[in-house]
Amino acid sequence: MNLEAPPLGRVSHVASVPFGPELVVERFRLENGLEILLCEDHSAPVVAYHTWYRVGSRHEREGKTGLAHLFEHLMFNETENLPAGTFDRKLEEAGAESNAATWLDWTHYNIAVPKEQLRLVIALEAERMARLVLRDPQVSSEKEVVANERRYRVEDDVEGAVSEVLWATAFREHAYKWPTIGWMADIEGFTTEDCQAFYQTFYAPNNATIVVAGDVNYANLLPRIQSAYGALPASELPLEDVRPEPAQDEERRAELTKPTATEKLAVGYHSPAMGDFDHPALSVLAEVLFGGRASRLHQLLVRKLEIASDVRVFVGPFRDPGLMEIYASARTGVTAEALLEALDQELDRVCEERVGEDEIERARARMELSVIAGLETADGKASTIGFYDTVLGRPAAAFERLDDLRRVGPSDLRRVARRYLRRTKRSVILVRASAGEKQEAAA
Amino acid sequence: MTSSLSISDTPLLVESSRELPLVHVSVALATGAIEDPAGKDGLTRLTARLMRRTGGGMTQQELDTRIDSLGGSLGADIAHSTLSFNGTVIRRNLESFFGLLADVLVRPGFAEAELGLLLRETEAELVESRDNDRALARRWFQRRLFDGHAYARSVSGRLSTLPTLGHPDVLELYRRTWVGGNLRVALSGDIDTEQASSHVARLVAALPPGPARPDAVPDPAGPVGRRLVIVDKPERTQTQILIGGLGTHPHDADHIALHVANTVLGGTFTARLMNEIRSKRGWSYGAYSNLPYDRHRQAFSMWTFPKATDAAECIKVELSLLRAWWEKGITARELAWAKRYLVRSHAFSVDTATKRVGLALDALLYDLPEGYYERYLERVKGVTLGEVNSAIRARISLENLLVCVVGTASEIADGVRSAIDDLASHEVIPFDAD
Repeated sequence: MNLEAPPLGRVSHVASVPFGPELVVERFRLENGLEILLCEDHSAPVVAYHTWYRVGSRHEREGKTGLAHLFEHLMFNETENLPAGTFDRKLEEAGAESNAATWLDWTHYNIAVPKEQLRLVIALEAERMARLVLRDPQVSSEKEVVANERRYRVEDDVEGAVSEVLWATAFREHAYKWPTIGWMADIEGFTTEDCQAFYQTFYAPNNATIVVAGDVNYANLLPRIQSAYGALPASELPLEDVRPEPAQDEERRAELTKPTATEKLAVGYHSPAMGDFDHPALSVLAEVLFGGRASRLHQLLVRKLEIASDVRVFVGPFRDPGLMEIYASARTGVTAEALLEALDQELDRVCEERVGEDEIERARARMELSVIAGLETADGKASTIGFYDTVLGRPAAAFERLDDLRRVGPSDLRRVARRYLRRTKRSVILVRASAGEKQEAAA
Repeated sequence: MTSSLSISDTPLLVESSRELPLVHVSVALATGAIEDPAGKDGLTRLTARLMRRTGGGMTQQELDTRIDSLGGSLGADIAHSTLSFNGTVIRRNLESFFGLLADVLVRPGFAEAELGLLLRETEAELVESRDNDRALARRWFQRRLFDGHAYARSVSGRLSTLPTLGHPDVLELYRRTWVGGNLRVALSGDIDTEQASSHVARLVAALPPGPARPDAVPDPAGPVGRRLVIVDKPERTQTQILIGGLGTHPHDADHIALHVANTVLGGTFTARLMNEIRSKRGWSYGAYSNLPYDRHRQAFSMWTFPKATDAAECIKVELSLLRAWWEKGITARELAWAKRYLVRSHAFSVDTATKRVGLALDALLYDLPEGYYERYLERVKGVTLGEVNSAIRARISLENLLVCVVGTASEIADGVRSAIDDLASHEVIPFDAD
């Protein structure tokens, strides 16, 4: 299939990687650097076609935050061969499910179509990788849409606002300190030239991976990809201006007041990168402490003490060290400090007392179910493959992670508890309730 | 291919798939929060949650630990007309999982201490839910649109109704609803028909026999005139807006035609609403119209969330789009496009065994017309332009509309009121009202 391909479109088979007990991911690479991961799955007549660009909000700079996310929106606009509004219209006409997401490390475009529509998707994705048209009217309109998205997710959402403050408090150097959606002033200040420069820098075949999962085989897929992307040149990717976060040596606190009836608490402990040896163990520990209604903190805060209505955790799955975020909502009349005091007692305990095998087994089983359940659709498979390949460089790392989880024992949990759950390494956000004050005053 | 069986009058749907070592199970009742007695909003949900926490006489922690440790999940979903326990488990633990499922459904302990805990937890959740502006908009839209009808009830209950829900209420509701004839069961995944039948037979045998619960709820009347409800919440930079009225009934002859019409108005990312509100004006991150079905006529609604200063103009544009859709209908080109979209995208409604079984279960739970999903593609393809445009005028009213806006009333109320012609009534409700 290389005989008729343009020079940059010559394809090489790089590796075959088992993906669970039944499936295989085949890795191919075009001469221009475009990676292709194919997972044949003939269980339904559909195909998921995902494009992962290795650019996220970490590649932005102060004053230009939110550019990667704004750009994700602009990618659905005009191209040289498609007038504005045509891209989505064609996809919908093909029966596609389509969306996109931007986060700290990556931008991800996901399309799933009935298998007979695959040719269209390849053509559309290649078109916007190379021939996007950026003009002032579209950029202005999309800035307004993103500003409204920010109002929805942050300004008028207590948890969104708190999370943003938590990360900005915990990080002072690393680009993880600003929100992916960007600060409002930065969103309002973007120019069309900013967007054009971003596009020329990061949207190129050698900064992307295409993940295809579903009812297709390589003999049908690869010639089409070669034809669509084979003439696109690689770009010279800039050396990333990474600023490692200095070690935190004292607790940081911030307070917010929000129109909510009850106080909230957010705590962020610096956590290891997704590829770190400690990440699986910390994830199991988080599950023991916060995962589900049988977890220690749910039992303590929601049921025994009845001081919280909800408590949750999230361990960041990022390329660089991130945060283990804890979020709790107090019940009426309970302070955020009371939540923190109870939380601290349980976290101190886990640093000193052995976690039982039964608790670890419960946590592992929950995580195993989550991984397997995420693989039911072609779209789920493509998301899993693309995410792990983008963050860890290994498309089947979801299954490696399950093996890692099986090896985690009580000593590992004690180690990561003592290493990461230290008060000097955390940031605490206390949310005061202005609506609650008003109610009490009225009463 | 979904197999349709019957175990002692309980319908059982099974579809095997060996792709993953997972089994999904849904045990559903063809009745839901409409069973709540007057003034006892939340009783059906409370009962289901109490079952989930006290199965087999276990404590909540014991039960959750056991389910989690099997690599399983089990939750109760309660709507107005249906109630279902939905579970998933890793195949190797299916036997144990079914044992726990039977504990929950057939042998709930209904411990009084747990009921007290659950009531206090529910109260805290209701207070917490006021942080969610979108949920507030939905709640008040539903309440005012279906005023006086069972669909106006709060499935989760209200702060004023929770104290009225007692242990005897829970026991009585359980006795009334959990009978063999009221049950519908669906299984999918790594299980065959024989295994499924065996498990379900044991479950059904342990429940008392009894007929399906009658659904005596009348069709809702809907709003009279144009009504405005502003849910007043401080410091809102944005608004949440729902505009609508009565919608469709699955047994309407023009049900599919109206579904096609709605696709053109606001059913997709490139539909008229999104095009005018988001793409052209940048006013709202999302702009959709919605036309759900239920056993009785449900709502039609348009949803946007513009910033506070754009709210009035956004409502004007939405109302003008609604009028144009109603008066001029959709075009032949739009019809052809909508048909292609609906027919092709249906592939994603049936791309897993669980989804296919889910549609078959919905058909049973909602009393859908015979062959509703089997003939869905054929019916979409067969709809004519005349049928679509007649359906809009027959089912959607421009005069009888409810506009529900969550925002800061002092900043938006005057503008929003003036944006609605022929406004018959308006009210302002504090966001923390019960």
